[in-house]
Amino acid sequence: MTANNEDQIKSASGIPIKDLYIPNDIKDIDYDKEIGLPGQPPFTRGVYQTMYRGQLWTIRRLSGFNTPEDTNNLYREEYELGQTGFSIAPDISTASGMDPDDPRVVSDVGHAGAPIYSLEDMETVFDGLPIERVSTFLADRVGGLLTPAYFIMAQKRGIPMDQVRGTTANDLCTWSSMELANQPTPHTFLRMSVDLIEWCAENAPRWYPISMNSYNPRDNGITAVQELGMLMATVIQYIEEAKRRGRVPLDKFVRRFAFNMAVHNDFFEEICKLRAARRMLLKIIRDRYGIDDPKCGQLRVHVQSSGSTHTHQEPLNNLVRIAYQVMAGVLGGAQSIHANGYDEAVCLPTDQSMLLSIRTEQIVALETNVTNTIDPLGGSYFVESLTNEIEERAWDFVKKIEEVGGMAQAINTGWIHREYKAAIIDYERKLRSGEINVVGVNKFRMEKEPHSIPIFKPDPKSADILVERIKRQREQRDNAKVTKALQNLEEVVRSEENTFPAIMEAVKAQATPGELAAIPLKVYGPWTYPIGV
Amino acid sequence: MVKDRVKILMAKPGLEGHWRGMTIVSSALRDAGYEVIYGGNMLPPEIGQTAAQEDVDMVGLSILSSNYMRLVSETLEELRKNNKDDVTVLLGGIIWESDFAALKHMGIAGIFTPGTPLQDIVAFVNTKTAAQPSR
Repeated sequence: MTANNEDQIKSASGIPIKDLYIPNDIKDIDYDKEIGLPGQPPFTRGVYQTMYRGQLWTIRRLSGFNTPEDTNNLYREEYELGQTGFSIAPDISTASGMDPDDPRVVSDVGHAGAPIYSLEDMETVFDGLPIERVSTFLADRVGGLLTPAYFIMAQKRGIPMDQVRGTTANDLCTWSSMELANQPTPHTFLRMSVDLIEWCAENAPRWYPISMNSYNPRDNGITAVQELGMLMATVIQYIEEAKRRGRVPLDKFVRRFAFNMAVHNDFFEEICKLRAARRMLLKIIRDRYGIDDPKCGQLRVHVQSSGSTHTHQEPLNNLVRIAYQVMAGVLGGAQSIHANGYDEAVCLPTDQSMLLSIRTEQIVALETNVTNTIDPLGGSYFVESLTNEIEERAWDFVKKIEEVGGMAQAINTGWIHREYKAAIIDYERKLRSGEINVVGVNKFRMEKEPHSIPIFKPDPKSADILVERIKRQREQRDNAKVTKALQNLEEVVRSEENTFPAIMEAVKAQATPGELAAIPLKVYGPWTYPIGV
Repeated sequence: MVKDRVKILMAKPGLEGHWRGMTIVSSALRDAGYEVIYGGNMLPPEIGQTAAQEDVDMVGLSILSSNYMRLVSETLEELRKNNKDDVTVLLGGIIWESDFAALKHMGIAGIFTPGTPLQDIVAFVNTKTAAQPSR
């Protein structure tokens, strides 16, 4: 039963979609092997046996602004409104590994996230917040200060290292997807991020030291299929590196992987992407690397509504887009969700939009009843068929990346950035031709913006406060101790040893973000960002 | 020496890392026949110096981190210092309408927010450049 025009309708990734799916479309699927039960391999229907009936996803907004004090107030407010996890978005200087008085970054201090330059700043951000009960995501740079500062803070609060809960971003794809100052080369990045994974595998059993992240790459214009392929190629890259180093048993190493993916506009494709992702990870862990413990192949994923789908025009429309994207994340079985602010194509979220994003998740969780049964779309002729199709195409993309030498090499040579660029150009072409519809932009566009929304403006005084503070820190600390810690760090970076303990020591000695970032750059040299015209 | 093509420097003042908008605009301008120098993230003094060294006719800035008033003013000052105050300066990114008038008063010739059709940007550049680009 097919319609004449079936070739003409395609998913956002370009997968042809039929007018109707029937039992014949899934007749070759072996239910037990390919779908199975939730909580059991291959985890297509979910990583946990009880899914949302047992525990709802974590509501976790990536946020922060102005100063550590203002960020603390924001986190307290989010927590009171029912947010169930924290997530630090670093400001530009923190993300770039620069002190706020570095002349290169003065204009950017306190912008686009929370400035955290010391243990004291970290303690200010979490003052009065129950980190013993609530987990935190840190969008830390590799070899950065956020993870060590968080660990030291937890120790000072008397939380044993094996009880500290959270995630460090720490992934190659995320950081190389944006142009940032002080970026180490991809291979340096890989080495130092594996150092953290190995350290946590031995010392911090409830911490996820890496979040394999395809969210940011996705916003560079690639499709759901490419996103999934990149994600899995990254997993393979990290396992290969751990194997090569041979310091931590592989099962222990892969057990610490967390995931972070996008939820975009094509509703069913996004749901199927999440289902396919779980199955693909299990296949990599079990079939490719022979790790039999099914717990090692569980893809626990945080999803975020795709910023690149949000429009500057008629920003309130984004609220609707975000709600559908959150719903796709839920029907796809995510463990943690960030609903963006509807105003994020205009400014950092205001209080109003922060409230709305928490409420969006709560409404989906508590009012729609989609959580009543596990994987409600499982078994759908269309959904199972599309899940297979996405998986198959994503493996092809994994193969392409492996053919150019694996993920680190694909980034290093600029191959992946050429993919981004081609995708961006293709997206713009489709936008112009009308193959892609964006309401309010290329469809039903209004000449004049009909309604204005409140706009968040960063506090211009933040930078001065932060500059004063870091000057005081440099004056008051024991500089001999800092120098010694940094010299030790440099020696360790030059050796094959794990760098994380030396970074912890340097942070304890109050080394600054700029001092920490300078060392790998000195040893390995800077990286030239592979994007151009 | 007569330049045969209009030269445009595209740059992101400051260190904010979102390059998607600037890359796609750069490609569109190159495809329209302009000579585009893609500077990536550059500090205002570097923009001024590069504009002078490369003798560009136009500078395109992209800023998404809400600190554009400061960065634009610093960049225009650096262009003046380098005797390039005659260049046309365009601004793209997340720019609030309430600041448009002030930015234009400072000397920004055109402001393009997200979702602006690329052909509109190219058309604007075409009208601003006296010399027709030739390949």
